[in-house]
Amino acid sequence: MSSAIAASPQSLTLGFVVRDWFTEVYNSKFIDECPEGLATSNDEIWWRGLSKVDRARLTDNGLIQNLNRMPTAMRRGPEGENVCLNPTVVKDPPMRVVEGKYSFGANLDENVDGQPTANTCAHNNFTHPDGTTGIDNQMYRLIGCVYGWRRGGLPELNAHEGRGTSGLGMILIEVTRVTDPRNSPDVTVTFYRSVDQFALDGAGRPLPFSSYNIDTANGKQRYGDSLKGSIKDGVLTTARGDVRLPFYGNYNFLHPAIRDMGLKLEIAADGSTAKGTVSGYYDLDEFLYYVGGMVGHTSTGDNCPAMYVAGHQLADGYPDPATGQCTHLSSSFSIGAYAAFVIHPEQNAANTGTDARVDAGLKKP
Amino acid sequence: MNAKTKRIAVLSALAALSALLSSCGDVEPKSTGAPPAMRRLTNDQYRNIIADVFGPQIVVAGQADPLLRTDGLLAVGARSARITPSGFEKFYGLARSISQLVVNEDNRDHLIPCQPASAKGADDACAQQFIAKVGRLLYRRPLLPGELDTAMKSAGLAAQTTGNFYRGLSVALSGMMTTPQFLFVVDETEPDPDQRGHIRLTAYAKASRLSFLLWNTTPHEALLNAAEKGLLHTTEGLSAQVDAMMASPRFEAGVRAFLDDFLRFDQFETLEKDSVIYPAFTVKVVEDAREQVLRTAVDHLVDRQRDYRDLFTTRQTFISGALARIYRVPTTKPSGNAWVPYEFAPDDPRVGLLTQVGFAALASHPGRSSPTLRGRAIREALLCQKVPDPPGNVDFSLFEAADLNNKTARERLTAHRTAPACAGCHKLTDPIGLGLENLDGVGQLRATENGAMIDASGDLDGITFNDAAGLGKAMRENPATTSCLVDRLTAYALGRSATAGQIVFLDYLKATFVKDGYRLPDLMRRIATSEALYAVSAPEEDAKPVQSAAAAVATGAALQEVSP
Repeated sequence: MSSAIAASPQSLTLGFVVRDWFTEVYNSKFIDECPEGLATSNDEIWWRGLSKVDRARLTDNGLIQNLNRMPTAMRRGPEGENVCLNPTVVKDPPMRVVEGKYSFGANLDENVDGQPTANTCAHNNFTHPDGTTGIDNQMYRLIGCVYGWRRGGLPELNAHEGRGTSGLGMILIEVTRVTDPRNSPDVTVTFYRSVDQFALDGAGRPLPFSSYNIDTANGKQRYGDSLKGSIKDGVLTTARGDVRLPFYGNYNFLHPAIRDMGLKLEIAADGSTAKGTVSGYYDLDEFLYYVGGMVGHTSTGDNCPAMYVAGHQLADGYPDPATGQCTHLSSSFSIGAYAAFVIHPEQNAANTGTDARVDAGLKKP
Repeated sequence: MNAKTKRIAVLSALAALSALLSSCGDVEPKSTGAPPAMRRLTNDQYRNIIADVFGPQIVVAGQADPLLRTDGLLAVGARSARITPSGFEKFYGLARSISQLVVNEDNRDHLIPCQPASAKGADDACAQQFIAKVGRLLYRRPLLPGELDTAMKSAGLAAQTTGNFYRGLSVALSGMMTTPQFLFVVDETEPDPDQRGHIRLTAYAKASRLSFLLWNTTPHEALLNAAEKGLLHTTEGLSAQVDAMMASPRFEAGVRAFLDDFLRFDQFETLEKDSVIYPAFTVKVVEDAREQVLRTAVDHLVDRQRDYRDLFTTRQTFISGALARIYRVPTTKPSGNAWVPYEFAPDDPRVGLLTQVGFAALASHPGRSSPTLRGRAIREALLCQKVPDPPGNVDFSLFEAADLNNKTARERLTAHRTAPACAGCHKLTDPIGLGLENLDGVGQLRATENGAMIDASGDLDGITFNDAAGLGKAMRENPATTSCLVDRLTAYALGRSATAGQIVFLDYLKATFVKDGYRLPDLMRRIATSEALYAVSAPEEDAKPVQSAAAAVATGAALQEVSP
């Protein structure tokens, strides 16, 4: 019934807090998209490179399990460097990447042949399972054969769990200039961060229609990029533009600027929830930094040096003017959101001052 | 005209005459007191006393048996409360844990006013200091010599047996806290020097009555001192104490305690909702819903000194993060225990106390709203009218489940009223409760039920309305709304429903309540400074409790309507 903060009868505002954020990967039943099998992990490469004596010495005769030997396994650089923090110090076999036909995502470069444009490098396109051609999703191509990144894998679930319990990296979406929550031809969609906690029900699910304060630093909000959009039959679709978003996962904080980002959000009839996709070009360096800083590589199947090389080979967006090397990966994320009230700093200041007697300490707030 | 209606007519005429006479001035009419009685402490009073005597660090970990609500109030039920053997065990357990905390190493230095000569044995002088000081506050008067002697012997014997002075004190304190003198507020009397052959409350008993009314706790040191000097037997002395107590921030606790009892908020302690249907209705919401109503009422009635009737039409309240989710409104303090003032917009359907979660959720079933329960709660709690219980053989399952033909509560209740045995009572409740049907079982707004539009029209005693706001206005204008508050507050203060001899006092209060602009603090001041509050009669002059004429007439009318 009440999915909006009523500013005036002519202009409504919708608000959402993003709870679910998953990298979109298309997993076939028999892993057909990875014909040579899944990518080789760092732990496996390290293990193969050890003599029998070293295996016994470094693993206490095999008693030290995978997860616990991770710190040792990562220090396999020539001088004992951590290869996730220094991915260029070793040269590993090429990483197995997705070779399948299908992928989720969007046609970001608006062509179907993968030829380079002013803002893109040559790449192979996918076909969406719904038949749409020209799908750009090099992020999926890069990680789709890494077992930890496949659906239900540890990095995504761990990050999801961490965001839910900490409220870190919380994305707020505010839709203004709404004339009708189900159909509005011209709306503005703005993205913020909150550092409030999720309000949860007894089963641990977020409660719709909770309030979340926009995070500020020294009085200024650090996020707040906007896109134009429209709502048709309850589906919000934005034009594309560059948007910086907060992100938290696996003990890493990122704030990637997703270039040419677009949002498509299907709002439930009662306005309480929404689900959809975010697509755009994701900064490769941000992503590699995330993977490199992730704890538990033996559980993710990542191998940083090979991913570093493959990532640069597959990057298809925003070439460096000096080198021509693309710096971003086309990507797509599925999101789930709950209706929320987005509280602006000035609203907060105004509300806390409405009862002068409270401010004067004459009365309990 | 049968005997009952004749009696009502006579009472009504007497009440009208009395009201006419008393409304001529502010002079309290002479009324007859009730015989002395004892009232068991409520759980809140027990906690407040412990906090006041020993400090908030002494935790009361448990509670006593609940009191039986009588004539609409637990405070009246306290008068007839008995302590069962299992109930005594609870009091004993509380007393033991509290007394152990009081004498433990963390607290003894600041709670015991002296150091024993040796901690390994008895010290009568030090024990007496502690027992006399604490006993005065616990018994609400100085200990009688026999009481002091008993406690001293107990402390000495236990100290000798255990070789520990503090254990001795703990045993003595436990003993004092399980005596009737502590657990019951006793109307102790003495011969009235101004009226030969009559009795009056002792000054200490007056202090207790005053303190539990205004602060809901034991008399504080200054009040006991005033009692000791006999000041509470003088008009000026009593007024000075009342003024001081009402000016204190602790007056809020007294108002809250009354409202909590008046609104039957003890039901929150067992309130549960289906979490599948209402996931946002968390334990925190239950706590905050109760607090919201009390906070709104105290702000309105005490801080802003506003008209009691406007509580039913005000849009101003306070909101917590948990409640904001139920109300679906923004808040700047979404988490924790923070509250912010909030005013519902002029076009918001929420108006007044009845549309707050605290009322809407309390008077509902676990999984759905109930116009009947809401109507009954309004009649019984807020208008002081009795609605008969349903017959024991009604098959509710025939009417509770929604079906294609009966999607809304109005449709289901219409079907229900086809049963003649049910029709009479439902006529009293449903037309009122249906006005709140735009609020679901936890008080969330809704326009439809099972896909059908909700019609929230109804009527209250002949005043029709279309929605909750209209119901609030009808409540505001209903004479029984203010009359009921006066009746209940007076009964709360007296610890019993008014006797026949106190009807003139009730009518005087009702007339002055109007004159005072329906302001609760003024009403409380009149009661606290009245002679009627402290009047007692000899036990043989006891009279059966009666309602004021106005309430009797209202109930009579209601009962007539129920009759076939």
